[in-house]
Formats: sequence, C-alpha cells, structure tokens
Amino acid sequence: MHMANELLSLPVAAGTFAIATAGLGLICRKAGRIISTDKLALMGILGAFVFAGQMVNFQLPGMPGTSGHMVGAVLLTIVLGPHLAAIVMSSVVIVQCLIFQDGGLLALGCNIINMALVPCYIGYFLYRAFTAGRASSLRVYVGTMLACLVSIEAGAILVPVQAALAGVLAVPFSTFLITMVGVHLLVGFVEGMITVAVLGYMRQVRPDIIVDSLPGGARLSRSAVLGTLAAFAIITGAGLSLLASDLPDGLEWSYAERPDQPGFEPAVANADSTIAAVDRFQSKYSPLPDYSVRTSQFGELPHEAAEVSTGWTSFAGVLGSAITMALIWLTARILRKKRSSVA
Amino acid sequence: MHHAHIDKFAYQDSPVHRLDSRVKLVVVLVFTAVVVSLPRTSLSILACYAVGPFAILVWAGIPLRFTFKQILLVSPFVLVLALSCPLYDRTPAAVAFGPFSWRLTLGWMRCFAILAKFIVTMLALIALVSTTRFSDLLAGLQKLGLPRVLVIQLGFLYRYIFVLIDRAQHILRARAGRKLRNLGLKAELKIAGAMLGSLFIRSIDTAEHIDTAMQARGFDGKWRTLAKLRIRTADCVFASAAAAFIFTLYFFLKPLLQ
Repeated sequence: MHMANELLSLPVAAGTFAIATAGLGLICRKAGRIISTDKLALMGILGAFVFAGQMVNFQLPGMPGTSGHMVGAVLLTIVLGPHLAAIVMSSVVIVQCLIFQDGGLLALGCNIINMALVPCYIGYFLYRAFTAGRASSLRVYVGTMLACLVSIEAGAILVPVQAALAGVLAVPFSTFLITMVGVHLLVGFVEGMITVAVLGYMRQVRPDIIVDSLPGGARLSRSAVLGTLAAFAIITGAGLSLLASDLPDGLEWSYAERPDQPGFEPAVANADSTIAAVDRFQSKYSPLPDYSVRTSQFGELPHEAAEVSTGWTSFAGVLGSAITMALIWLTARILRKKRSSVA
Repeated sequence: MHHAHIDKFAYQDSPVHRLDSRVKLVVVLVFTAVVVSLPRTSLSILACYAVGPFAILVWAGIPLRFTFKQILLVSPFVLVLALSCPLYDRTPAAVAFGPFSWRLTLGWMRCFAILAKFIVTMLALIALVSTTRFSDLLAGLQKLGLPRVLVIQLGFLYRYIFVLIDRAQHILRARAGRKLRNLGLKAELKIAGAMLGSLFIRSIDTAEHIDTAMQARGFDGKWRTLAKLRIRTADCVFASAAAAFIFTLYFFLKPLLQ
C-alpha cells in the first residue's frame, strides 16, 4: 500500500508532508525527553528487524502460491510504546523510500502518515484498551487481533482518500475504497494471526519483554487519545462525505476534472470543422479550456488539420528526447572504453 | 554480509557521486514536484524530462539494466492502479503521433501518463540514491534540520538492515531444510511465530551488546560523522544546470508541445 508520486497532486503532497513532518517533529521532541541514550541502539535494530521480519513468510491456506508476512507496526507499538514505535516505523518507511525506492519521494508524507503514525497510535490504543489492568491471555489475543485489523484498515482507507483528493485516478472512489478495504482486511487478519503467534512465543520464552513492555513506556492519557481519534474520525468522515457528493461516479469525475487538463493532446473527433477549430483555439488560449465535444460522433474521422500539428510536435518531442538519450549513452560508452584502453 | 547489493553503486566514484548530498536531494525533490504537477495528458513532455535523470545515471556509470530492474520491482501497486484506469474511463479519443494515428480511450491515455510519470520520477530517485552514500544523505538531512533522534534512528537502521536480513535468511534456510510440505495454517503460523519471535529476541540482545560497547566508548547521544559537507563550485554549477533544464522545459518546451 505504498503511495506513489503519480497518485498525488502537489497540494495534497505538500499538505500530507506538512502534517507528517509536524507530527514526527512533535513525537521526536517528546521522545527526546523520554528516552535515554541506551534506547537508541534498540530502536535502530528493531527498525532493521521489521525489514528482516518481512522476509519471513508463511503459506496461507486455500490460496496456493500466496504467502503472508508481517508488517510489524502493532508488534513494535506493543513492545516499545506508541511514540518510539512511530519513530521506528517512520524510519522504516523513509529507508524503504530512499534505499529500496518503494513509494515516491513526494509521497513520503502520505506513507509516513498511513503506515507509521496512524497504525502505531491506533494499534497501541486498541491494545491498551483491551489489556488495561490485569490482562488475561484471551484479552491480549483479542486486543492484538483488533489492533492489527483496525490499524491496517485505517492506513489503507487513507490511500484512496488521498488519491481522490488529488483527483488523479479514473477509478471511482467507492470502487477503490472497497478494493483497498477488502484486500487489507485479509492483510490485517494475517498480521493479527502472526502477531499473536509471535507474542505467544515470546510469552513463553521471554515473558519479561511483553509484561513490562520494554523501555520508554510513555503512557498516553486516555482522553487525549480519544480526542485525537474523534477528531480523526470527524475529519475522515467530512472528507468522505465531501468526496461522495463531489464525485457521484467515474464519468462525472472525469468531467469534473476537465478544467485542470489543459492541452489535452488528442484532437477530438468531430465532423464539424468550425467547432473543432474553435475548440482548438479555445483549448490553446483560454486559461480553463473545456472539452465539451469529446463524447460526440466518434465514428467519423478526426479533424485532420488540427490533429496533424499536435501529432507532429509531440512526435518531435519524444523522438528528440530518445535521440538525446541515445547520444548520451553512446558518448558515455565510448568515453569509458577509451579510458579503460588507456588504463 | 552478502546483501549490500541494493545500494552498491552509491560507493562508486564519479563527478556525480562527489556532489553535495543536500544539493542533489533538493534538485531531485524539485524535479519530482515539477514532473508530478505536469498536466496528466501530455506524454511527450515527460519524455523530454526523462533525459535529465537519464543523463545523470549514465554519467555516474549506473548500469541501465539495474535501473530498470529496480523500477520493475517497485511497480506492482502503480501498475494495478494505472491498468484499472482504462476500465473506468471509456471516453473515446483519437491520438495522433507523428505519422501514426489511432483511437484509444481517455482511460488508456491516463494509464500511460501515470506510468510515464512513475518511470520518470523513479529514474530521478534512483539517480539520487545510487549516487549518494546513505551516510552522506543522512548528514545532509541533519544539516537540513531533521531531528537528531530520527537521524540516529536512520543511521542504526541502515547499519543493521543487512545484518538482520542475513540472519533472517539463515532462519529461512533452516526451515526450508526441515519443512518439506505445507503443514496447514496452524502449524505454519506457529513456526513463523517462533521464527519471528526468536529473531526479535536476538535483535534485542544484539541491541544490548551494541549499547554496552557504545557506552564503553563514550557514546553520549550525539552522532558525529566524518563527512564534510561543503557547497563547492561543482555543486553550484550542477544546481544551476538542473534548474535551467527543469524550468526551460517547463516554460518554453511545454507550451510548444501542447
């Protein structure tokens, strides 16, 4: 569920980047006061553990060939507490972007929110809510399972919301949302099972780690978390209803988006040459060109004069770029050969 | 350690590698932002933009096969979303491209635009990452104001990723050697849980050892690097060339191609 650059518009990218930076900065400041230097190594290594842990896969029943693996946010948040876990998961997302190129540079803000901040805090709160006081093993299991399901779903729901705010996809919002929720229901379920299995193992082997949940036990005040969750729910709900009213279906959506697509390259099929010419003119010179004719008679031939000119300029652009790249590559190759033959 | 191959090219040497990490990071960020903000329907301008990162990659001596393999590796999510576009937007459109012209739907145009943007921005990101050592990038990020805790966190994470991946592969090999068939969900889960649990506990123990060693050497929570960051003439030249490239295309070539 790594968000990609292309599914975002600049305002959404900038907005999420600002939210992620502010949140992360706040957490780092808070954590900087709580943690002593001896936790730094632990946090770093647990971040690396998340990477290694994602390699340990296991077969899922009923679906030969598919295997599940752990995501790790909930396990970390249970053991480290939400602040430190959020820092660790953010660093994991940053490294995934910068070293493994998973998720784009502009989408980093989105990914930090979706995959680090939201899952860690929601997961921690749900787990704590179930295991507060004396925790029976049943409560631990239910709490863990629920924490995994809800935190992963929450992150997954944010992806289509962000994409829809950017308005890049032609896919209807509801379809995208349902697909994401469906897929991540499975992911969350697998995550829940594997986290429960790991916790069960560790309760047997090293109960001390689970019981007093390692260092930096930053306790959250319950009211603060409830407030944040409520605000989050309201914002999401408002966003959803806005989207729902704005975007009744895919076709409408594509119409609604027309104005911000100036310079739509293909000439539109239309029998009447004057309309085509006027349209061409309008699309060239108006700040917000509108393409009202494009649904019309496709059966007829496109208007040629208008089409040929755009076709050739774009052809020249692509061809020129390709030739430039080929030249660069050849020059570099020749230079390298020369250098190696001299040496 | 046999796994340093993901960013092995960052340790080569070339004029590009020697540039200041901050300059490169800012240039790539601006480049990505400009490419993403391009209108979604003009494919040809994207081809022009691809020339920039391509030139950097070739100049730095990064094999193109590695680059494209890397792009392919991270593409599935984008690929699914892009390919679902033609299913939903079936408005017909005629496309002219030089001597050729054919008919498509708007959905396909959108699909191509998303994929092309993906490839171009990925080229830029790979050009940044495979010409900059991670430690230099971190030092640059710290200079740019990343919180100290996060810088240390990223430094440790990077240092131990490959160590732990190696360990995980040992465990995986041990399982593959003993488990010859699918054991059913319950047993599989129990095994995977035990593997992850033992990996987790070993990680915590390792962290304790490292911490003791660091305390013994006087670690006080400050991260000191040998990397000396200086903006030199080469960096200024690179930054202005990049700016010229990006904005010339944006202000002069883009209106022409539409």
